[in-house]
Amino acid sequence: MARNDFGPPDYRELIPPVIQKNYGQWKYHTIPRPGVLKHVSDTGDVLYSVRIASPRLVSSEYIRSISDIADTYCDGYLRFTTRNNAEFLVSDESKLEPLIKDLVAKGYMIGGGGHSISNVVHTQGWIHCKSAVTDASGIVKDVMDELHPYFTGEIKVPARLRIAVACCVNMCGACHCSDISIVGIHRTPPRVNDELLVGRCEIPTTIAACPTGAIRPNPKTKSVEINHEKCMMCANCTVVCPAIKIMDPVNDGVSIWVGGKVSNARTAPKFSRLAIPYLPNNPPRWPEVTNAVKHLVEVWAASAREGERMGEWIDRIGWERFFEKTGLPFTDKHIDDFTHATTTFRSTTQFRF
Amino acid sequence: MGDILVKGVAIEVDEDGFIVDPAVWSTDLVEVFAKDEGIEALTEQHWKVINYLRDYFKQYGIAPMIRKLCKDTGFSLKEIYELFPSGPAKGACKLAGLPKPTGCV
Repeated sequence: MARNDFGPPDYRELIPPVIQKNYGQWKYHTIPRPGVLKHVSDTGDVLYSVRIASPRLVSSEYIRSISDIADTYCDGYLRFTTRNNAEFLVSDESKLEPLIKDLVAKGYMIGGGGHSISNVVHTQGWIHCKSAVTDASGIVKDVMDELHPYFTGEIKVPARLRIAVACCVNMCGACHCSDISIVGIHRTPPRVNDELLVGRCEIPTTIAACPTGAIRPNPKTKSVEINHEKCMMCANCTVVCPAIKIMDPVNDGVSIWVGGKVSNARTAPKFSRLAIPYLPNNPPRWPEVTNAVKHLVEVWAASAREGERMGEWIDRIGWERFFEKTGLPFTDKHIDDFTHATTTFRSTTQFRF
Repeated sequence: MGDILVKGVAIEVDEDGFIVDPAVWSTDLVEVFAKDEGIEALTEQHWKVINYLRDYFKQYGIAPMIRKLCKDTGFSLKEIYELFPSGPAKGACKLAGLPKPTGCV
């Protein structure tokens, strides 16, 4: 029998000697230039990390090519960050400049550190997922093409700004807690294939999957029926029952959410909130989405104080000012109407005209 | 999609080998599936699990939770894996002719 249950390799065997030696003894770090970090240890050792953008979805050729770079300059050591950037770990300072020169020559983009727009956390999209309402890789490429000066540090921003893409409301990844989130949404209720449903789907599971109780059994067809008045097109039923389909190339699209954060710095973590209820799917460049994201970034960057993240900025100026400054229309779609929605209503006379 | 041969009769299965029409389930089918699943011989214990899954599905319309399965059959999850190497969902449910497990599996 094959060897199993042996877990991932021990990370301590995979880190550079300088990190092994100085583990838990780092004194401070600086950012000498965008995308480059310098860590100094109590023992006096210095480690540079050079961060490059990665598309996350990469070929084995890509992995081999960055491994070759790591072999040349970093004794074979590199790491991936939690936003899927790659970092080259250089302990020999004389190799830093040649590494950066080589990376630039080969077309890798250095950046993503400190106050910047780092990589976009995203999902599978039309590459691999059956529930994808929109594409992930495509939108990410378009958005980052538009925003790359913010990644490289060419254009400064007041604080870090996190962008995430999820291709359906399952929100794999970080969309519920990012400064700007792009989430795929449906706008037409699902269709039930009664014939296919029998024997393929667990009816009680399908009914229980609905957050609004819109699904009930249909004894006549031994299937289920969906109350369209109650359905909000979350597509949860289509996840548990392959006989229910919801895809609609015309009405499917994306929504944009703002103001989430996970850190506890200054203010508590926040969920992101709806800013734009619907933008069309417009592959391959999604111009409506990229323009909207760029616009939100520009308005925030022009108005926020130093160190103030999107959500903190909105909290300070208020949502009515946010909609005014961004020029986005405020619609009935923005008003929460799910179970405990009352807590999101305004229960004060404090507001701005 | 494809077919498997059970005693000379072609039976339609999906890409994961689950039967498409629950009505075609038979004990002969289980014997054929067992070979694909790496089960050398179907024992009384295998049948206990299979019959339990079928009865539960017939009564409630869903596959039982793992805990329910273990508690009612008296097998631990480890023993279930020894009986069905690919596990209770991909192994046991497939042999029992239940619908393919769905969701984020």
